[in-house]
Amino acid sequence: MSWIETPNIEKLSKYLDLAAFRQTLIASNLANVDTPGYRTRDIDFEGEMRRAEERVGSDAAPPRPFEVAGLMERPDGNNVNLDRESMLLARTQLQFRLGVELLRQEFQGISTAIKEGS
Amino acid sequence: MNLLGVLDISASALTAERQRAEVLASNLANAQTTQTAKGGPYQRQLVVFGTRKAARSTFANAFADFSDRYAQGVEVKRVVPDPTPAVQRFEPGHPDADNQGYVAYPAVDPIEEMVNLMGAARSYELNVAAVQATKNMISQSLQILS
Repeated sequence: MSWIETPNIEKLSKYLDLAAFRQTLIASNLANVDTPGYRTRDIDFEGEMRRAEERVGSDAAPPRPFEVAGLMERPDGNNVNLDRESMLLARTQLQFRLGVELLRQEFQGISTAIKEGS
Repeated sequence: MNLLGVLDISASALTAERQRAEVLASNLANAQTTQTAKGGPYQRQLVVFGTRKAARSTFANAFADFSDRYAQGVEVKRVVPDPTPAVQRFEPGHPDADNQGYVAYPAVDPIEEMVNLMGAARSYELNVAAVQATKNMISQSLQILS
């Protein structure tokens, strides 16, 4: 970790990575809403975040997606739930925005320090 | 993680749903067609969807990362004819009537096709919403440096 990389920046970048990865899964779920036999996939966001925090400084472990259990299955074997995915889409977007905003402020703080507050 | 790749996933769904809508429209258009190039009435077509790994150029491959392994788009795997037999209607005056006076019409139910068409349109909209969401995230990530 160099002096410019505060622990917060590392955490926030992990947060953004996870949000982007979840977006990949949500987009896949939404794309396959009409594919017979497709199973909804997701990650445990909080769990992955905790796992990443334990490993700060070492190599990042890739998140582990899983097939979501307990969703209602249609006769063709597909279990994509539109309400669930739309809600997650909105939530992931907001989480990403939050991460960007916090990261921006973190960098602005460093920038202020460099310029000696001028 | 690659947000631009997420756009590819949603784009594959837009393409697939559009193809589905095209097939449904041709089913509807040919609901009364009794003469086709291969003879006999029009046969209703069905699309079969399947998952697809995002197609990548070698350039994009250089940037491929872990999340690409979990990116699953969708594509139209096959368009298969519906095996339902033609509907026989008694119309002795029709030029395509057989010697008992029956005409074979395609087994197309316009209501069923319309319902499927609405489904395709909704799924299309849904994926457009996903594209918008991803676009917002990409443009937000550009603000980190501003």
